[in-house]
Amino acid sequence: MGATSDAETICPTGKTISSEPQGPLPATAAKISVRHLNFFYSRRQVLYDIGLDIPEKKITALIGPSGCGKSTFLRTLNRMFETVPYTRVEGEVKLDGEDIFGMSVVDLRRRVGMVFQKSNPFPKSIFDNVAFGARVNGLKNRDKLREVVETSLRRAALWDEVKDSLRKSAYSLSGGQQQRLCIARALAVDPEVILLDEPCSALDPIATAKIEDLLFDLVGSCTIIIVTHNMQQAARVADQTGFFLLGRLIEFDKTEVMFKNPSRKETEDYISGRFG
Amino acid sequence: MNFRRLTALLASILGGILVVIVTFLAVYAWPAVRFNRLHFLTQNNWNLGNLYADPIMVRGQQVLPAAHYGILFLIAGTLLSTLVAIVLAVPIGVGAAVFLAEALPPVMRAWVSLFVELLAAIPSVVYGLWGYAVVIPFLGHHLFPWMVEHFGFIPFFGGHAGSGYGLLTCGLVLTLMIVPLITATVRDALVTQPAALREGAVALGASRFETLWSVLLPGVRRVLTGASILATGRALGETMAVLMISGNALNYLPNNIYSPISTMASFIVSQLDSALEDPTGMAVRSLAEVALVLCLISIAVNGIARVLLLYQDRQLTRAV
Repeated sequence: MGATSDAETICPTGKTISSEPQGPLPATAAKISVRHLNFFYSRRQVLYDIGLDIPEKKITALIGPSGCGKSTFLRTLNRMFETVPYTRVEGEVKLDGEDIFGMSVVDLRRRVGMVFQKSNPFPKSIFDNVAFGARVNGLKNRDKLREVVETSLRRAALWDEVKDSLRKSAYSLSGGQQQRLCIARALAVDPEVILLDEPCSALDPIATAKIEDLLFDLVGSCTIIIVTHNMQQAARVADQTGFFLLGRLIEFDKTEVMFKNPSRKETEDYISGRFG
Repeated sequence: MNFRRLTALLASILGGILVVIVTFLAVYAWPAVRFNRLHFLTQNNWNLGNLYADPIMVRGQQVLPAAHYGILFLIAGTLLSTLVAIVLAVPIGVGAAVFLAEALPPVMRAWVSLFVELLAAIPSVVYGLWGYAVVIPFLGHHLFPWMVEHFGFIPFFGGHAGSGYGLLTCGLVLTLMIVPLITATVRDALVTQPAALREGAVALGASRFETLWSVLLPGVRRVLTGASILATGRALGETMAVLMISGNALNYLPNNIYSPISTMASFIVSQLDSALEDPTGMAVRSLAEVALVLCLISIAVNGIARVLLLYQDRQLTRAV
Protein backbone atom coordinates (compact mmCIF):
# COMPACT_ATOMS: atom_id res chain seq x y z
CA MET A 1 0.00 0.00 0.00
CA GLY A 2 2.36 2.73 1.16
CA ALA A 3 1.68 6.35 0.41
CA THR A 4 -1.29 6.42 -1.88
CA SER A 5 -4.10 8.70 -2.90
CA ASP A 6 -7.23 9.20 -0.83
CA ALA A 7 -9.27 6.87 -2.92
CA GLU A 8 -6.91 4.04 -2.31
CA THR A 9 -6.13 4.56 1.37
CA ILE A 10 -9.77 4.60 2.39
CA CYS A 11 -10.35 1.15 0.98
CA PRO A 12 -9.55 -1.38 3.68
CA THR A 13 -8.42 -4.04 1.27
CA GLY A 14 -5.95 -1.70 -0.28
CA LYS A 15 -7.18 -1.77 -3.85
CA THR A 16 -9.01 0.99 -5.60
CA ILE A 17 -12.68 0.28 -5.82
CA SER A 18 -15.40 1.61 -8.01
CA SER A 19 -19.13 1.10 -8.19
CA GLU A 20 -21.06 -1.18 -10.44
CA PRO A 21 -20.62 -0.75 -14.14
CA GLN A 22 -22.46 2.35 -15.21
CA GLY A 23 -23.66 1.60 -18.71
CA PRO A 24 -26.83 2.89 -20.33
CA LEU A 25 -30.21 2.23 -18.75
CA PRO A 26 -31.16 -1.44 -18.70
CA ALA A 27 -34.06 -2.68 -20.79
CA THR A 28 -36.23 -3.48 -17.78
CA ALA A 29 -37.67 -0.27 -16.46
CA ALA A 30 -35.99 0.80 -13.26
CA LYS A 31 -38.06 2.94 -10.90
CA ILE A 32 -35.07 4.98 -9.90
CA SER A 33 -31.79 5.03 -11.73
CA VAL A 34 -28.70 6.69 -10.42
CA ARG A 35 -25.60 7.46 -12.44
CA HIS A 36 -22.25 8.91 -11.34
CA LEU A 37 -23.64 10.39 -8.17
CA ASN A 38 -21.18 12.37 -6.06
CA PHE A 39 -22.21 14.10 -2.87
CA PHE A 40 -20.38 16.78 -0.90
CA TYR A 41 -20.84 18.33 2.51
CA SER A 42 -19.14 21.64 1.74
CA ARG A 43 -15.69 20.36 0.60
CA ARG A 44 -15.88 16.89 2.06
CA GLN A 45 -16.97 14.26 -0.40
CA VAL A 46 -19.17 11.58 1.17
CA LEU A 47 -20.48 9.72 -1.87
CA TYR A 48 -18.28 8.64 -4.75
CA ASP A 49 -19.58 7.83 -8.19
CA ILE A 50 -22.66 5.86 -7.17
CA GLY A 51 -24.57 4.08 -9.91
CA LEU A 52 -27.46 1.67 -9.51
CA ASP A 53 -30.95 0.86 -10.67
CA ILE A 54 -33.75 0.38 -8.17
CA PRO A 55 -36.34 -2.00 -9.60
CA GLU A 56 -40.01 -1.15 -9.32
CA LYS A 57 -42.23 -2.75 -6.65
CA LYS A 58 -39.36 -4.53 -4.97
CA ILE A 59 -37.69 -4.06 -1.63
CA THR A 60 -34.15 -2.80 -1.86
CA ALA A 61 -31.98 -2.79 1.24
CA LEU A 62 -28.90 -0.67 1.72
CA ILE A 63 -26.40 -1.95 4.27
CA GLY A 64 -22.99 -0.90 5.44
CA PRO A 65 -21.17 0.36 8.52
CA SER A 66 -22.04 3.69 10.15
CA GLY A 67 -20.94 6.73 8.23
CA CYS A 68 -20.64 4.89 4.92
CA GLY A 69 -23.07 7.23 3.21
CA LYS A 70 -26.15 5.04 2.91
CA SER A 71 -28.41 7.51 4.71
CA THR A 72 -26.96 10.37 2.69
CA PHE A 73 -27.68 8.40 -0.46
CA LEU A 74 -31.26 7.84 0.68
CA ARG A 75 -31.67 11.55 1.33
CA THR A 76 -30.60 12.47 -2.16
CA LEU A 77 -33.43 10.40 -3.59
CA ASN A 78 -36.09 12.82 -2.25
CA ARG A 79 -33.71 15.79 -2.12
CA MET A 80 -34.01 15.98 1.68
CA PHE A 81 -30.33 16.95 1.78
CA GLU A 82 -31.34 20.35 0.46
CA THR A 83 -32.54 21.34 3.93
CA VAL A 84 -28.93 21.09 5.10
CA PRO A 85 -26.79 24.08 4.09
CA TYR A 86 -23.55 23.68 2.13
CA THR A 87 -24.46 20.40 0.48
CA ARG A 88 -23.83 19.73 -3.19
CA VAL A 89 -24.68 16.93 -5.57
CA GLU A 90 -23.22 15.92 -8.91
CA GLY A 91 -24.58 13.25 -11.22
CA GLU A 92 -27.92 11.98 -12.34
CA VAL A 93 -30.92 10.62 -10.48
CA LYS A 94 -33.97 9.70 -12.51
CA LEU A 95 -37.41 8.75 -11.29
CA ASP A 96 -39.27 6.96 -14.08
CA GLY A 97 -36.76 8.45 -16.45
CA GLU A 98 -37.38 12.00 -15.23
CA ASP A 99 -34.56 14.02 -13.71
CA ILE A 100 -35.42 14.58 -10.02
CA PHE A 101 -33.33 17.72 -9.81
CA GLY A 102 -35.43 19.23 -12.57
CA MET A 103 -38.83 18.59 -11.02
CA SER A 104 -40.52 20.59 -8.27
CA VAL A 105 -39.35 19.43 -4.90
CA VAL A 106 -42.90 19.27 -3.53
CA ASP A 107 -43.90 17.02 -6.39
CA LEU A 108 -40.85 14.81 -5.87
CA ARG A 109 -41.47 14.41 -2.14
CA ARG A 110 -45.09 13.57 -2.75
CA ARG A 111 -43.99 10.77 -5.09
CA VAL A 112 -41.07 9.67 -2.90
CA GLY A 113 -42.13 9.42 0.75
CA MET A 114 -39.82 8.98 3.68
CA VAL A 115 -39.89 7.35 7.11
CA PHE A 116 -37.21 8.22 9.61
CA GLN A 117 -35.07 6.36 12.09
CA LYS A 118 -36.82 7.83 15.08
CA SER A 119 -40.59 8.05 14.77
CA ASN A 120 -41.52 11.72 14.48
CA PRO A 121 -45.28 12.16 14.81
CA PHE A 122 -46.42 15.78 14.89
CA PRO A 123 -47.89 17.24 18.09
CA LYS A 124 -51.37 16.63 16.71
CA SER A 125 -54.07 14.00 16.85
CA ILE A 126 -53.64 10.65 15.14
CA PHE A 127 -56.12 11.72 12.48
CA ASP A 128 -54.41 15.05 11.81
CA ASN A 129 -51.02 13.37 11.58
CA VAL A 130 -52.17 11.09 8.79
CA ALA A 131 -54.20 13.81 7.11
CA PHE A 132 -51.29 16.25 7.15
CA GLY A 133 -49.73 15.25 3.84
CA ALA A 134 -53.10 15.10 2.09
CA ARG A 135 -54.01 18.54 3.41
CA VAL A 136 -50.67 19.96 2.32
CA ASN A 137 -51.44 18.61 -1.11
CA GLY A 138 -54.70 20.48 -1.21
CA LEU A 139 -57.27 17.90 -0.14
CA LYS A 140 -59.94 19.71 1.89
CA ASN A 141 -63.08 17.60 1.60
CA ARG A 142 -63.76 16.08 5.05
CA ASP A 143 -65.24 12.81 3.78
CA LYS A 144 -62.36 12.31 1.37
CA LEU A 145 -59.87 13.07 4.15
CA ARG A 146 -61.53 10.55 6.43
CA GLU A 147 -61.34 7.99 3.65
CA VAL A 148 -57.65 8.70 3.01
CA VAL A 149 -56.87 8.44 6.71
CA GLU A 150 -58.67 5.13 7.08
CA THR A 151 -57.08 3.64 3.97
CA SER A 152 -53.62 4.75 5.01
CA LEU A 153 -53.99 3.47 8.54
CA ARG A 154 -55.26 0.15 7.20
CA ARG A 155 -52.34 -0.10 4.81
CA ALA A 156 -49.99 0.60 7.72
CA ALA A 157 -51.75 -2.14 9.74
CA LEU A 158 -52.62 0.34 12.46
CA TRP A 159 -56.33 0.92 11.85
CA ASP A 160 -57.66 -1.75 14.20
CA GLU A 161 -55.52 -0.43 17.04
CA VAL A 162 -56.45 3.23 16.71
CA LYS A 163 -59.84 3.42 15.02
CA ASP A 164 -61.56 4.38 18.28
CA SER A 165 -59.01 6.98 19.28
CA LEU A 166 -58.33 8.98 16.13
CA ARG A 167 -58.75 12.21 18.07
CA LYS A 168 -56.17 11.28 20.67
CA SER A 169 -52.69 12.72 20.58
CA ALA A 170 -50.22 10.77 18.48
CA TYR A 171 -47.93 10.79 21.51
CA SER A 172 -50.31 8.46 23.32
CA LEU A 173 -49.20 5.61 21.04
CA SER A 174 -46.36 3.17 21.74
CA GLY A 175 -43.05 3.46 19.91
CA GLY A 176 -43.89 0.79 17.36
CA GLN A 177 -47.34 2.26 16.79
CA GLN A 178 -45.84 5.72 16.33
CA GLN A 179 -43.51 4.37 13.67
CA ARG A 180 -46.42 2.71 11.87
CA LEU A 181 -48.30 6.00 12.18
CA CYS A 182 -45.40 7.70 10.44
CA ILE A 183 -45.61 5.08 7.71
CA ALA A 184 -49.35 5.70 7.41
CA ARG A 185 -48.63 9.40 7.19
CA ALA A 186 -46.19 8.79 4.36
CA LEU A 187 -48.71 6.51 2.64
CA ALA A 188 -51.49 9.09 2.82
CA VAL A 189 -50.12 10.99 -0.17
CA ASP A 190 -49.97 7.72 -2.11
CA PRO A 191 -46.24 7.76 -2.90
CA GLU A 192 -44.67 5.61 -5.59
CA VAL A 193 -41.50 5.08 -3.60
CA ILE A 194 -41.01 4.89 0.16
CA LEU A 195 -37.61 5.51 1.68
CA LEU A 196 -37.08 4.05 5.14
CA ASP A 197 -34.05 5.19 7.09
CA GLU A 198 -33.38 2.50 9.72
CA PRO A 199 -37.06 2.46 10.66
CA CYS A 200 -36.70 -0.30 13.24
CA SER A 201 -33.53 0.70 15.04
CA ALA A 202 -35.46 2.01 18.05
CA LEU A 203 -38.01 -0.82 18.16
CA ASP A 204 -38.20 -4.15 19.95
CA PRO A 205 -38.27 -7.42 17.94
CA ILE A 206 -42.07 -7.71 17.97
CA ALA A 207 -42.64 -4.18 16.70
CA THR A 208 -39.87 -4.79 14.16
CA ALA A 209 -41.58 -7.94 12.92
CA LYS A 210 -44.83 -6.02 12.46
CA ILE A 211 -43.10 -3.40 10.34
CA GLU A 212 -41.36 -6.04 8.26
CA ASP A 213 -44.70 -7.77 7.60
CA LEU A 214 -46.05 -4.41 6.64
CA LEU A 215 -43.28 -3.94 4.07
CA PHE A 216 -44.29 -7.18 2.37
CA ASP A 217 -47.87 -5.92 2.14
CA LEU A 218 -46.81 -2.56 0.76
CA VAL A 219 -44.38 -3.75 -1.85
CA GLY A 220 -47.25 -4.82 -4.07
CA SER A 221 -48.13 -1.17 -4.57
CA CYS A 222 -44.91 0.75 -4.17
CA THR A 223 -41.17 0.58 -4.41
CA ILE A 224 -39.40 0.35 -1.08
CA ILE A 225 -35.85 1.31 -0.22
CA ILE A 226 -34.73 0.55 3.32
CA VAL A 227 -31.49 1.50 4.99
CA THR A 228 -30.67 -0.88 7.80
CA HIS A 229 -27.90 -1.69 10.20
CA ASN A 230 -29.40 -5.05 10.79
CA MET A 231 -28.13 -7.53 8.23
CA GLN A 232 -30.65 -10.18 9.23
CA GLN A 233 -33.34 -7.66 8.45
CA ALA A 234 -31.89 -7.03 5.01
CA ALA A 235 -31.67 -10.77 4.43
CA ARG A 236 -35.27 -11.27 5.57
CA VAL A 237 -37.03 -8.53 3.66
CA ALA A 238 -35.01 -7.37 0.69
CA ASP A 239 -35.16 -8.55 -2.91
CA GLN A 240 -31.82 -6.92 -3.58
CA THR A 241 -29.21 -5.44 -1.39
CA GLY A 242 -26.59 -2.79 -1.86
CA PHE A 243 -23.46 -2.67 0.27
CA PHE A 244 -21.95 0.76 0.95
CA LEU A 245 -18.47 1.29 2.30
CA LEU A 246 -16.76 4.62 2.84
CA GLY A 247 -18.96 6.46 0.40
CA ARG A 248 -18.82 3.88 -2.36
CA LEU A 249 -21.32 1.30 -3.50
CA ILE A 250 -19.22 -1.82 -3.31
CA GLU A 251 -21.74 -4.33 -4.51
CA PHE A 252 -25.37 -4.38 -5.53
CA ASP A 253 -27.09 -7.64 -6.33
CA LYS A 254 -29.92 -10.01 -5.48
CA THR A 255 -30.05 -10.46 -1.74
CA GLU A 256 -29.36 -14.22 -1.87
CA VAL A 257 -26.32 -13.67 -4.00
CA MET A 258 -25.09 -10.91 -1.71
CA PHE A 259 -25.40 -13.01 1.40
CA LYS A 260 -24.45 -16.42 0.06
CA ASN A 261 -22.01 -15.72 -2.67
CA PRO A 262 -20.78 -12.13 -2.71
CA SER A 263 -18.37 -11.31 -5.47
CA ARG A 264 -16.39 -8.74 -3.50
CA LYS A 265 -14.15 -9.51 -0.60
CA GLU A 266 -15.28 -6.41 1.32
CA THR A 267 -18.89 -7.55 1.18
CA GLU A 268 -18.01 -10.97 2.43
CA ASP A 269 -15.91 -9.52 5.25
CA TYR A 270 -18.72 -7.23 6.34
CA ILE A 271 -21.46 -9.81 6.11
CA SER A 272 -19.47 -12.41 7.95
CA GLY A 273 -18.81 -9.88 10.69
CA ARG A 274 -15.10 -9.46 10.16
CA PHE A 275 -15.49 -5.69 10.46
CA GLY A 276 -18.14 -3.02 10.64
CA MET B 1 -31.92 20.10 57.98
CA ASN B 2 -31.51 18.09 54.82
CA PHE B 3 -31.67 19.43 51.31
CA ARG B 4 -35.18 18.23 50.67
CA ARG B 5 -36.56 20.01 53.71
CA LEU B 6 -34.62 23.15 52.91
CA THR B 7 -36.02 23.39 49.40
CA ALA B 8 -39.50 22.58 50.66
CA LEU B 9 -39.17 25.42 53.15
CA LEU B 10 -37.98 27.85 50.51
CA ALA B 11 -40.80 26.88 48.18
CA SER B 12 -43.42 27.30 50.85
CA ILE B 13 -42.01 30.69 51.86
CA LEU B 14 -42.36 31.84 48.25
CA GLY B 15 -45.90 30.49 48.03
CA GLY B 16 -46.69 31.98 51.41
CA ILE B 17 -45.65 35.48 50.40
CA LEU B 18 -48.55 35.75 47.96
CA VAL B 19 -50.99 34.71 50.67
CA VAL B 20 -49.44 37.16 53.14
CA ILE B 21 -49.59 40.10 50.71
CA VAL B 22 -53.17 39.50 49.68
CA THR B 23 -54.21 38.97 53.29
CA PHE B 24 -52.47 42.14 54.40
CA LEU B 25 -54.11 44.13 51.62
CA ALA B 26 -57.52 42.71 52.46
CA VAL B 27 -57.16 43.47 56.18
CA TYR B 28 -55.80 46.97 55.58
CA ALA B 29 -58.51 47.76 53.00
CA TRP B 30 -61.31 46.24 55.07
CA PRO B 31 -62.76 49.57 56.39
CA ALA B 32 -62.86 50.81 52.78
CA VAL B 33 -64.54 47.62 51.62
CA ARG B 34 -67.18 48.12 54.34
CA PHE B 35 -67.67 51.78 53.44
CA ASN B 36 -67.58 51.51 49.63
CA ARG B 37 -69.56 48.34 49.25
CA LEU B 38 -70.10 47.05 45.71
CA HIS B 39 -70.46 50.40 44.01
CA PHE B 40 -66.69 50.65 44.38
CA LEU B 41 -66.56 48.46 41.30
CA THR B 42 -69.55 49.84 39.43
CA GLN B 43 -69.38 53.63 39.68
CA ASN B 44 -67.17 56.31 38.21
CA ASN B 45 -66.65 58.65 41.09
CA TRP B 46 -63.43 59.04 43.03
CA ASN B 47 -64.03 61.89 45.47
CA LEU B 48 -62.14 62.45 48.71
CA GLY B 49 -64.97 64.62 50.10
CA ASN B 50 -64.68 67.89 51.94
CA LEU B 51 -61.18 67.97 53.42
CA TYR B 52 -62.01 70.98 55.63
CA ALA B 53 -65.13 69.62 57.23
CA ASP B 54 -65.33 67.45 60.31
CA PRO B 55 -65.46 63.70 59.70
CA ILE B 56 -68.81 61.95 59.93
CA MET B 57 -69.72 58.33 60.61
CA VAL B 58 -71.07 56.30 57.70
CA ARG B 59 -71.70 52.54 57.98
CA GLY B 60 -69.55 52.44 61.07
CA GLN B 61 -66.59 54.14 59.42
CA GLN B 62 -65.22 57.63 59.97
CA VAL B 63 -65.17 59.46 56.62
CA LEU B 64 -65.16 62.97 55.25
CA PRO B 65 -68.53 64.42 54.19
CA ALA B 66 -69.34 63.68 50.53
CA ALA B 67 -66.49 61.16 50.25
CA HIS B 68 -67.25 58.61 47.57
CA TYR B 69 -65.07 56.01 45.89
CA GLY B 70 -66.01 54.24 42.63
CA ILE B 71 -63.27 52.95 40.33
CA LEU B 72 -65.03 51.49 37.30
CA PHE B 73 -63.02 53.86 35.06
CA LEU B 74 -59.79 52.47 36.50
CA ILE B 75 -60.82 48.89 35.92
CA ALA B 76 -61.85 49.74 32.38
CA GLY B 77 -58.62 51.64 31.70
CA THR B 78 -56.47 48.84 33.04
CA LEU B 79 -58.23 46.02 31.23
CA LEU B 80 -58.60 47.89 27.94
CA SER B 81 -54.98 49.05 27.75
CA THR B 82 -53.82 45.51 28.56
CA LEU B 83 -56.19 44.09 25.98
CA VAL B 84 -54.85 46.42 23.28
CA ALA B 85 -51.29 45.51 24.24
CA ILE B 86 -51.87 41.76 24.18
CA VAL B 87 -53.83 41.83 20.92
CA LEU B 88 -50.95 43.68 19.28
CA ALA B 89 -48.06 42.00 21.07
CA VAL B 90 -48.92 38.34 20.49
CA PRO B 91 -48.86 38.45 16.67
CA ILE B 92 -45.90 40.83 16.61
CA GLY B 93 -43.99 38.79 19.18
CA VAL B 94 -44.67 35.47 17.46
CA GLY B 95 -43.81 36.97 14.08
CA ALA B 96 -40.53 38.30 15.40
CA ALA B 97 -39.76 34.95 17.04
CA VAL B 98 -40.43 33.11 13.79
CA PHE B 99 -38.17 35.53 11.94
CA LEU B 100 -35.39 35.09 14.47
CA ALA B 101 -35.67 31.32 14.65
CA GLU B 102 -36.36 30.48 11.03
CA ALA B 103 -35.22 33.22 8.71
CA LEU B 104 -32.03 34.56 10.23
CA PRO B 105 -28.75 32.70 9.91
CA PRO B 106 -27.61 31.52 13.37
CA VAL B 107 -24.74 34.02 13.57
CA MET B 108 -27.04 36.99 13.19
CA ARG B 109 -29.73 35.39 15.31
CA ALA B 110 -27.60 35.78 18.43
CA TRP B 111 -27.05 39.48 17.83
CA VAL B 112 -30.57 40.42 16.88
CA SER B 113 -31.91 38.34 19.77
CA LEU B 114 -29.64 40.20 22.13
CA PHE B 115 -31.15 43.50 21.04
CA VAL B 116 -34.68 42.20 21.37
CA GLU B 117 -33.92 41.01 24.89
CA LEU B 118 -32.30 44.33 25.79
CA LEU B 119 -35.63 45.97 24.99
CA ALA B 120 -37.01 44.08 27.98
CA ALA B 121 -34.21 45.42 30.15
CA ILE B 122 -35.04 49.09 29.61
CA PRO B 123 -36.57 50.58 32.79
CA SER B 124 -40.20 51.41 32.27
CA VAL B 125 -39.74 55.04 33.25
CA VAL B 126 -37.52 55.39 30.17
CA TYR B 127 -40.34 54.06 28.03
CA GLY B 128 -42.61 56.57 29.73
CA LEU B 129 -40.33 59.51 29.08
CA TRP B 130 -39.76 58.46 25.48
CA GLY B 131 -43.51 58.01 25.06
CA TYR B 132 -44.10 61.46 26.50
CA ALA B 133 -41.45 63.24 24.45
CA VAL B 134 -41.60 61.39 21.14
CA VAL B 135 -44.58 59.10 20.75
CA ILE B 136 -47.30 61.39 22.06
CA PRO B 137 -46.54 64.40 19.83
CA PHE B 138 -46.36 62.12 16.80
CA LEU B 139 -49.54 60.21 17.64
CA GLY B 140 -51.50 63.25 18.77
CA HIS B 141 -50.61 65.47 15.83
CA HIS B 142 -50.28 63.02 12.98
CA LEU B 143 -51.37 59.42 13.43
CA PHE B 144 -54.56 59.77 15.47
CA PRO B 145 -56.10 62.54 13.31
CA TRP B 146 -55.21 60.47 10.25
CA MET B 147 -56.82 57.37 11.80
CA VAL B 148 -59.97 59.30 12.69
CA GLU B 149 -60.19 60.51 9.12
CA HIS B 150 -59.66 57.12 7.47
CA PHE B 151 -60.90 54.59 9.99
CA GLY B 152 -63.44 56.70 11.79
CA PHE B 153 -66.27 54.49 10.52
CA ILE B 154 -65.08 51.60 12.71
CA PRO B 155 -66.71 51.75 16.16
CA PHE B 156 -64.45 53.40 18.76
CA PHE B 157 -62.00 54.55 16.06
CA GLY B 158 -63.89 57.75 15.27
CA GLY B 159 -64.71 60.83 17.30
CA HIS B 160 -62.23 63.15 18.92
CA ALA B 161 -58.61 62.27 18.20
CA GLY B 162 -57.46 63.77 21.48
CA SER B 163 -54.02 65.01 22.38
CA GLY B 164 -52.06 61.79 22.10
CA TYR B 165 -52.38 60.88 25.77
CA GLY B 166 -54.68 57.94 26.17
CA LEU B 167 -55.74 54.36 25.71
CA LEU B 168 -54.13 53.57 22.35
CA THR B 169 -50.87 55.27 23.30
CA CYS B 170 -50.74 53.20 26.48
CA GLY B 171 -51.56 50.08 24.49
CA LEU B 172 -48.76 50.78 22.01
CA VAL B 173 -46.10 51.51 24.60
CA LEU B 174 -47.17 48.48 26.67
CA THR B 175 -46.92 46.43 23.48
CA LEU B 176 -43.31 47.49 23.07
CA MET B 177 -42.63 46.52 26.65
CA ILE B 178 -44.08 43.02 26.44
CA VAL B 179 -43.13 42.01 22.90
CA PRO B 180 -39.55 41.10 23.94
CA LEU B 181 -40.93 38.75 26.61
CA ILE B 182 -43.06 36.88 24.09
CA THR B 183 -40.43 36.92 21.35
CA ALA B 184 -37.61 35.60 23.52
CA THR B 185 -39.67 32.77 24.95
CA VAL B 186 -41.27 31.65 21.71
CA ARG B 187 -37.98 31.91 19.79
CA ASP B 188 -36.26 29.62 22.30
CA ALA B 189 -39.11 27.15 22.04
CA LEU B 190 -39.01 27.19 18.24
CA VAL B 191 -35.25 26.70 18.09
CA THR B 192 -35.49 23.71 20.43
CA GLN B 193 -38.29 22.01 18.50
CA PRO B 194 -36.90 18.63 17.42
CA ALA B 195 -35.36 18.71 13.93
CA ALA B 196 -37.20 15.46 13.26
CA LEU B 197 -40.54 17.29 13.21
CA ARG B 198 -39.28 19.71 10.60
CA GLU B 199 -37.86 16.86 8.52
CA GLY B 200 -41.06 14.88 8.80
CA ALA B 201 -43.12 17.77 7.45
CA VAL B 202 -40.65 18.65 4.71
CA ALA B 203 -40.50 15.02 3.61
CA LEU B 204 -44.26 15.13 3.03
CA GLY B 205 -43.82 18.01 0.63
CA ALA B 206 -44.79 20.76 3.08
CA SER B 207 -43.47 24.21 2.33
CA ARG B 208 -41.57 26.21 4.89
CA PHE B 209 -44.70 28.12 5.82
CA GLU B 210 -46.83 24.98 6.12
CA THR B 211 -44.18 23.34 8.28
CA LEU B 212 -44.08 26.37 10.51
CA TRP B 213 -47.79 26.97 10.69
CA SER B 214 -49.11 23.47 11.17
CA VAL B 215 -46.24 21.61 12.82
CA LEU B 216 -43.85 23.93 14.64
CA LEU B 217 -46.22 26.58 15.99
CA PRO B 218 -48.71 24.07 17.45
CA GLY B 219 -45.72 22.58 19.25
CA VAL B 220 -44.95 25.88 20.99
CA ARG B 221 -48.55 26.79 21.85
CA ARG B 222 -48.07 25.99 25.52
CA VAL B 223 -45.01 28.17 25.74
CA LEU B 224 -46.83 30.98 23.95
CA THR B 225 -49.72 30.79 26.39
CA GLY B 226 -47.33 30.87 29.30
CA ALA B 227 -45.46 33.87 27.92
CA SER B 228 -48.74 35.66 27.26
CA ILE B 229 -49.79 35.15 30.88
CA LEU B 230 -46.56 36.72 32.08
CA ALA B 231 -46.94 39.54 29.58
CA THR B 232 -50.53 40.19 30.68
CA GLY B 233 -49.37 40.40 34.26
CA ARG B 234 -46.71 42.90 33.32
CA ALA B 235 -49.15 45.04 31.32
CA LEU B 236 -51.81 44.99 34.05
CA GLY B 237 -49.33 46.14 36.66
CA GLU B 238 -47.26 48.58 34.63
CA THR B 239 -47.10 51.84 36.55
CA MET B 240 -44.57 54.50 35.60
CA ALA B 241 -44.77 54.43 31.82
CA VAL B 242 -48.56 54.41 31.87
CA LEU B 243 -48.64 57.21 34.42
CA MET B 244 -46.70 59.42 32.03
CA ILE B 245 -48.72 58.78 28.90
CA SER B 246 -52.24 57.78 29.89
CA GLY B 247 -53.64 61.26 30.35
CA ASN B 248 -54.68 60.37 33.91
CA ALA B 249 -58.39 60.51 33.28
CA LEU B 250 -60.50 60.89 36.39
CA ASN B 251 -64.02 59.61 36.80
CA TYR B 252 -64.99 58.91 33.23
CA LEU B 253 -64.91 55.98 30.90
CA PRO B 254 -63.03 56.15 27.57
CA ASN B 255 -65.44 56.80 24.69
CA ASN B 256 -63.02 55.85 21.91
CA ILE B 257 -59.55 54.35 21.61
CA TYR B 258 -57.89 57.77 21.80
CA SER B 259 -59.52 58.80 25.10
CA PRO B 260 -57.39 59.51 28.16
CA ILE B 261 -57.53 56.72 30.73
CA SER B 262 -56.11 55.83 34.10
CA THR B 263 -54.98 52.43 35.21
CA MET B 264 -55.16 51.06 38.72
CA ALA B 265 -51.42 50.83 39.23
CA SER B 266 -50.62 54.34 38.02
CA PHE B 267 -53.63 55.76 39.84
CA ILE B 268 -52.31 54.49 43.16
CA VAL B 269 -49.05 56.34 42.57
CA SER B 270 -50.64 59.55 41.33
CA GLN B 271 -53.26 59.74 44.10
CA LEU B 272 -51.26 58.66 47.11
CA ASP B 273 -50.15 62.21 47.96
CA SER B 274 -53.61 63.69 47.99
CA ALA B 275 -55.07 60.64 49.70
CA LEU B 276 -52.70 61.22 52.61
CA GLU B 277 -54.43 64.57 53.19
CA ASP B 278 -57.55 62.75 54.31
CA PRO B 279 -57.39 62.81 58.12
CA THR B 280 -59.78 59.84 58.40
CA GLY B 281 -57.45 57.58 56.39
CA MET B 282 -60.36 56.33 54.28
CA ALA B 283 -58.76 57.59 51.03
CA VAL B 284 -55.56 55.60 51.61
CA ARG B 285 -57.56 52.54 52.56
CA SER B 286 -59.57 52.94 49.38
CA LEU B 287 -56.31 53.04 47.42
CA ALA B 288 -55.39 49.81 49.17
CA GLU B 289 -58.70 48.45 47.98
CA VAL B 290 -57.70 49.45 44.43
CA ALA B 291 -54.49 47.47 44.95
CA LEU B 292 -56.50 44.55 46.25
CA VAL B 293 -58.76 44.58 43.18
CA LEU B 294 -55.71 44.79 40.90
CA CYS B 295 -54.20 41.80 42.68
CA LEU B 296 -57.40 39.79 42.37
CA ILE B 297 -57.77 40.67 38.67
CA SER B 298 -54.18 39.55 38.01
CA ILE B 299 -54.80 36.30 39.84
CA ALA B 300 -58.07 35.79 37.98
CA VAL B 301 -56.48 36.40 34.57
CA ASN B 302 -53.78 33.94 35.49
CA GLY B 303 -56.32 31.38 36.58
CA ILE B 304 -58.39 31.74 33.43
CA ALA B 305 -55.30 31.33 31.26
CA ARG B 306 -54.34 28.19 33.14
CA VAL B 307 -57.79 26.70 32.74
CA LEU B 308 -57.60 27.44 29.01
CA LEU B 309 -54.24 25.71 28.89
CA LEU B 310 -55.61 22.67 30.65
CA TYR B 311 -58.51 22.59 28.23
CA GLN B 312 -56.11 22.78 25.27
CA ASP B 313 -54.13 19.91 26.73
CA ARG B 314 -57.15 17.75 27.13
CA GLN B 315 -58.06 18.51 23.52
CA LEU B 316 -54.77 17.44 22.12
CA THR B 317 -51.18 17.47 23.18
CA ARG B 318 -51.28 15.18 26.14
CA ALA B 319 -47.73 13.89 26.13
CA VAL B 320 -46.77 10.31 26.85
